[in-house]
Amino acid sequence: MSTTRHHINRQRRRQARETRPAAPAGHPERTPVRTAGRGTTAVLSPGDTVTADPPAAEEEKPTPSRSRRPPVLLLLCALTVLLGGFAGWAHAEAEGLRSEPERSNTALTDLARTSEIKGQVAKAVDRLFSYDHADPGALDEAAKDLLTGKAVDQHHDLLADVRARADEQKAVITTTVTESAVERIDGDRARVLVYADQSSVATGGKKSKEGEEAAQDEGVYAAAMLAVDVVHRDGRWLVSALDTFGR
Amino acid sequence: MKRAVRLLHAGRLRPLPALALVLTLVAGGFAAWAGQDWYRAAHDEQAEYAAQRDAALSAGEQAVQNLNTLDHRELKRGLDLWESSTTGELHEQLASGRDEFTAQVKEAKTVSTARVLSGAVTELDDRAGRARVLVALRVTVEAADGAKSDKDSRMLGELTRTDGRWKLSALGQAPVGGTSTG
Repeated sequence: MSTTRHHINRQRRRQARETRPAAPAGHPERTPVRTAGRGTTAVLSPGDTVTADPPAAEEEKPTPSRSRRPPVLLLLCALTVLLGGFAGWAHAEAEGLRSEPERSNTALTDLARTSEIKGQVAKAVDRLFSYDHADPGALDEAAKDLLTGKAVDQHHDLLADVRARADEQKAVITTTVTESAVERIDGDRARVLVYADQSSVATGGKKSKEGEEAAQDEGVYAAAMLAVDVVHRDGRWLVSALDTFGR
Repeated sequence: MKRAVRLLHAGRLRPLPALALVLTLVAGGFAAWAGQDWYRAAHDEQAEYAAQRDAALSAGEQAVQNLNTLDHRELKRGLDLWESSTTGELHEQLASGRDEFTAQVKEAKTVSTARVLSGAVTELDDRAGRARVLVALRVTVEAADGAKSDKDSRMLGELTRTDGRWKLSALGQAPVGGTSTG
């Protein structure tokens, strides 16, 4: 009898101990009460309710929470899907807006870059289209310095005639950019529309070649317009293409 | 053994809602970030400015082309287009000189067709609604005898925004050698 009772008590005590580690997670306030009740055997009888409780509570607890928890979980899942969906959609919208062609063109919106390009292109055109028969090396140097890609050949073709004529007439051709505007800046590429005046002063040799009757001592001005493609390389803008609109 | 099972049991119940909550919070974070990213993209001042720039340029190119295109057989339509493409002083000039011009073109029997080679905006004040454009133009004039001649023009245009639309308020050719050629 005493053995059975002792055995039952031991079992109950063990049960009480076993439930303890799990308890703090759910009901931390209950733990101190139980710890206080340990050690004294007299408390075992009130402890009966405690030890009897856990299995009951274990069964009781899930019942209300089982009906409550899945909706919470479901709600969280639904919310996650909804928020994730919105995030994806908003991201796609933002990317769509950003990829609009008008945005990739930063001409004028990036004022610093725009004026940098304008300045460098104006200087480049001035140098590339000016020629002094007395210093032919300057043009070659400018070409080597400022041109890249197919602009090298384009410039050579454009200037070949001018050069030959200027050498013949001992002329000085000076090009000055009067107006320019950046059409497009797309990262490290840009296109600039340039208006330039070209004056040529003949200092001797044969005069009155076609269209240059007035080119004696007075300069004659010719209006030029061209579109210049540039690329950004090593901190500088190099001319990569020249478009004289078929002229 | 029993203990381990219980622990597992208890442990399984806790992390699931916690995980769901973390996922929801992460998704919420992404949603908030993407949302404000989208808002910023949609209310980007630079983009607004870029849109105005492109609107001004296309209106400017079209207007410059219109004003250099005229068929003596369709004078009324052509000149109406001139007037609808312009505003301000330029508009008044065109309107007041219309009769005289009509007589001239009818007499000359010319057909002018303009093609925009290239164009770009030099200045843009989107608040004041003013812009300056360069338009490289090739005008083909067909005379009464059918002879055609091409002429390139370096146009400088000024645009003013009226009622949300960009219209030409001034137009001229870039001066050559310090003197204007027209």
